[in-house]
Amino acid sequence: MKEKLREVADQARELIAACQTANDILNAKAQYLGKKSLINQLYTQLRDLPEQDKPAFGQLINELRAEVEQLLERRDQELKQATRELHDQTREQDLSLPGCFQPRGSLHPITIIRRRIEDVFIGLGFEIAEGPDIDDEFHNFDALNTPPDHPSRNLADTFYLDNGYLLRTQTSTVQVRTMEKYPPPIHIISPGRCYRNDKPDPSHSPVFHQVEALVVDKGISLADLKDTLQNFAQIMFGPQVRSRIRPHFFPFTEPSAEMDISCVSCKGTGCRICKNSGWLELGGAGMVDPAVFKMLGIDPELYSGYALGVGIERIAMLKYNIPDMRILYENDVRMLRQFSGETG
Amino acid sequence: MRISRRWLGNYIDLPDDNELLIRTLTFSGIEVEAVEELPALPETVLTARILTAEKIPGTDHLMACTVEYGGSNPVQVVCGAPNCRPGMLSVLALPGSVLPQLTIKSAKLKGVESHGMLCSERELGISDTHAGIIELDVNTPLGLPVNDLYELPDTLLDLEITPNRSDLLGYLGIARDLSASLGTPVKFPELLPIAGADCPAIDLKLILEDSENCPRYTARLLTDIRVQDSPQWLKTALIKTGLRPINNVVDITNFVMLETGHPLHAFDYDQLAPVEAGDPQPAIVVRKARPGEEFVALDGKSYVLDDQALVIADGQKASALAGVMGGKDSAISDSTRTLVLESASFNPCSIRATSYKYKISTDSSYRFERHLSPALPVDASVRATELLVRVSGGKVCHALKDAYPEPERALYLALRPRRFTELIGYQLEESAIKSYLEALGCRFVQYGAWQEEPLTDPALIHCHHAEEQKAGKTEFTEIDCDHALYFQIPPHRVDLTREADLLEELARLAGYDRVPQKTAISLIMDRHAHRVQRAIVDHFALAGFYEMTNYSFCDPAQLADLAFPSEELDRILLRVINPQSSNQSAMRISLLPSLLANLSYNLNHGERNLKLMELARVYHRDGDSYTEPLFLTALCTGQAAPEHWQQKAREIDVYYLKGIIESLLGSLNLPVTATGSMPRPWLVDAENLAFYSGDALCASLGRMRSETLERFGIDIHKLKQDIWVVEIPVQNIVEATRGISTEFQPLPRHPSVVRDISFVIGLNIPYGDIQAAIKAVDPSLIQAVSIFDEYHGKQVPAGSRSLSLHLFLQDSEKTLTDERVDQTVASVLKMLSAAWQIKMR
Ligand SMILES: [Zn+2]
Repeated sequence: MKEKLREVADQARELIAACQTANDILNAKAQYLGKKSLINQLYTQLRDLPEQDKPAFGQLINELRAEVEQLLERRDQELKQATRELHDQTREQDLSLPGCFQPRGSLHPITIIRRRIEDVFIGLGFEIAEGPDIDDEFHNFDALNTPPDHPSRNLADTFYLDNGYLLRTQTSTVQVRTMEKYPPPIHIISPGRCYRNDKPDPSHSPVFHQVEALVVDKGISLADLKDTLQNFAQIMFGPQVRSRIRPHFFPFTEPSAEMDISCVSCKGTGCRICKNSGWLELGGAGMVDPAVFKMLGIDPELYSGYALGVGIERIAMLKYNIPDMRILYENDVRMLRQFSGETG
Repeated sequence: MRISRRWLGNYIDLPDDNELLIRTLTFSGIEVEAVEELPALPETVLTARILTAEKIPGTDHLMACTVEYGGSNPVQVVCGAPNCRPGMLSVLALPGSVLPQLTIKSAKLKGVESHGMLCSERELGISDTHAGIIELDVNTPLGLPVNDLYELPDTLLDLEITPNRSDLLGYLGIARDLSASLGTPVKFPELLPIAGADCPAIDLKLILEDSENCPRYTARLLTDIRVQDSPQWLKTALIKTGLRPINNVVDITNFVMLETGHPLHAFDYDQLAPVEAGDPQPAIVVRKARPGEEFVALDGKSYVLDDQALVIADGQKASALAGVMGGKDSAISDSTRTLVLESASFNPCSIRATSYKYKISTDSSYRFERHLSPALPVDASVRATELLVRVSGGKVCHALKDAYPEPERALYLALRPRRFTELIGYQLEESAIKSYLEALGCRFVQYGAWQEEPLTDPALIHCHHAEEQKAGKTEFTEIDCDHALYFQIPPHRVDLTREADLLEELARLAGYDRVPQKTAISLIMDRHAHRVQRAIVDHFALAGFYEMTNYSFCDPAQLADLAFPSEELDRILLRVINPQSSNQSAMRISLLPSLLANLSYNLNHGERNLKLMELARVYHRDGDSYTEPLFLTALCTGQAAPEHWQQKAREIDVYYLKGIIESLLGSLNLPVTATGSMPRPWLVDAENLAFYSGDALCASLGRMRSETLERFGIDIHKLKQDIWVVEIPVQNIVEATRGISTEFQPLPRHPSVVRDISFVIGLNIPYGDIQAAIKAVDPSLIQAVSIFDEYHGKQVPAGSRSLSLHLFLQDSEKTLTDERVDQTVASVLKMLSAAWQIKMR
């Protein structure tokens, strides 16, 4: 019996020391401590011993059992500790090697600027209205109070299509369409493509983009227009930018004005970009002519409004210091790649 | 705060309609949080007297009683209440009575017949008390329906009183506010002057030491008090508001607190000690507690106080925690003959600190914490005194003792009607301004130039037109003077201290629904389309595409190069009458020619890997009219993902573009329900795909033909790369996604199980069919099927391939057992063998 005990103990020590995984530990546990384990068999054999030997051997088996439990627990902890060390081990690698990613493409600068303008105006409570590129003379000229003999209606200025329609020369057509469809109050901007029969040069393009704003409500004055211009200029170009309006003439506004902002390059001291004036022309604006309101069935005694328009290309060129409008229509990916970092 | 409609009705005529009352309260700023109806009880629930009560042998506590209720003969009733005894008056429900919880029937209990039930308050549904049967005053007439006794039916309203409105913590305050909203007067209880008798033997020394924390303390002495049960009307009032009746003195202080909102306290005069032993008069001293001073409260708990707590002490020790709780020793008891009635005003901060520190919150501390003006204690005291004389037969000794060292001065506030218009948004007539504020207890004083600071002296009101006002002129324009209306603020409104406070009162009483909508929303913008358009372009930009902006024109000759049928061109092409050049002589019908030109340009500038896109309108003639559909077209060649030192560059292929389209539609919640082909003259046959969601074509992709590319000047012999094109009809996606919104699904409560299967199957069987067939084996269990390997090679016969799939299994009801999973996988394999003769690997 004594021998048998020693044999079981030696085997157990050897087996536990050889355990390499959590699973090995479980197996060893079953083999020595489970229901049909070797140690339990020893307890069974205890019955056959003489009565006086029973307590001493019982004691020995208990001790063996305790030792096996302890060894198993220790080996389990050793294995766990080894796993921990492996897990937290310093790995040999060059952390200066580049990361792996899908490079972003980019939006076109015209889209970037268009979105920024849209977001400025949406923040100011405006909605976006859209209308067709192809329109008729009524929406593009008549409803905007343009005289029938006005030079802008010429073939030299405006593209005409073979179905009797024309390509809009400004997005004011959308203002007209909105006023036809919705009663005041109206607070909209209309961004989109416009067309004029200009040869491409550093500051002209036969296809270009514009954003116009229109407000029709009770008690709207030139002061509201100036507020919107100043808000827009500062959000778009920075808090130091100033704005002003100068008298001008447009058929559909009365009074009419041109809008300037202080030069974003020289901050108003005078430079090549602003032709030493300190100011940059941004676009046209004015109070909607009562004749336009009457034509669209809006009572000019009850409502007033303003309209303003800016060119997206011009703002993109000012903001990104692009010297020639034609660059925007070349679609050279080397140019576009420079805008990967601009969020739209 | 819980109030009874019937009790409130004693002070103001209420609208019959409860809904109207609730709406009026809620929309004047007193939110009704809960409504509890106390229905009328049957006429067969009556007052009755127990004549005899005998224990039923063999029971613990059941008694056989004979009960009379007037009129007919006494009845026999079995009762188990501990307080049931001969001679007492209680409430009897006769057989047939329907009570809130049970219906009374004649029955036999332990062999004794019972023809009715003696009831507790809970059984009648008027309170939670169930300790015994109701015990009524012995003088109550017999046979009286309990509806009269408990003022039933009634409605209980739970009101949320905002913390700024201490004036609403009593019935009268609620009535006053309702009076302003409803335009009906308040019926205030009449307060007559009280003449105190000369009582040489009874007097009190009142010492106010801390007037900062107790600006005013009044004490009233009453003697010859008989402390006993309260009359039924008083009990009823308290029970409905949730207070337990105790005795007539305590009940009256509680009643007056509920009525006026001002807490009172009564001391047993004979338990108060003098300052010096031997003084003939006991004392009331209002002072800070001495450090370590002990105090045993009414509820028997003792406290050790510090020197911050304000106490009401007698000549020796603390008798009350001021405004929070009375003391045990000086409490009113059955043997009290003479009492001191306290009505005082305390600093709210002091009360709050004491209540917080000793964790005692009472109806009294709740009210004092919200600031009660020192102008209020006297009225409450007078009202309580009058009731005490009436109910407990007491006699008033001496005049009221009133310690009020620095009387508060009335406040005068200026209100400019134009400010109401500016702040609230509509014009309120001056007459309405006056009547609303006067209903609240404000008093219009005069017109005057506006001053921001409240005045305590009306003589400081300036007006250039004082003489005219005196002569009776009341209408002044803003130009006449600053045109402010001066109001004297009533003391109960400690929250009214600025013009803005008055404007708030007016806006609330006139009703927020009178505030006009200034600007109707026009909803011109198609916000959904705006979002979707941006999302589509952003998706391509994030995948590495560069956005192009091209002219809207095209060259009709190039359209011929794309092999557009000429009759189609004649039908849809819009030509420019005055083009700048022939290659800009028509409106674009496709973005592809422009993009091919962009691709060619950039290849010529040395770029090899190009991903280009444009979002723009194209233009179609449509009979006499035209359309301008919006498209996103993308053109790409070369690497899909750039080479990286860890992995080789991946070339663009059909699966790359398919992935871009699938992830785009997925990000828009638009599932692809079908794919098909979209043959185009410029695309390689059989290598193009069209994606549909329902009927809507959402996208198409394909590989450009060499012939077309060469016509556009792209040298494929030199390039040796495929060129792929994607076309997205944006408007279709905008419309298909309109109204689609994510709807949260409850998360699965049981883990999912993944099993992998591999098999060899013919190349002619599309994976899509295999995937659908597997899911169909058990759609509720097989949540997803995904492929992780496709293998062609030596071990696989020609014309076949080996596929390896993950099956994701999940049961929404329970955790999956291995047996169930094995069974399902076996069914899948069986189905695959039967349908396509697969071979296992
Ligand atoms: Zn400049």
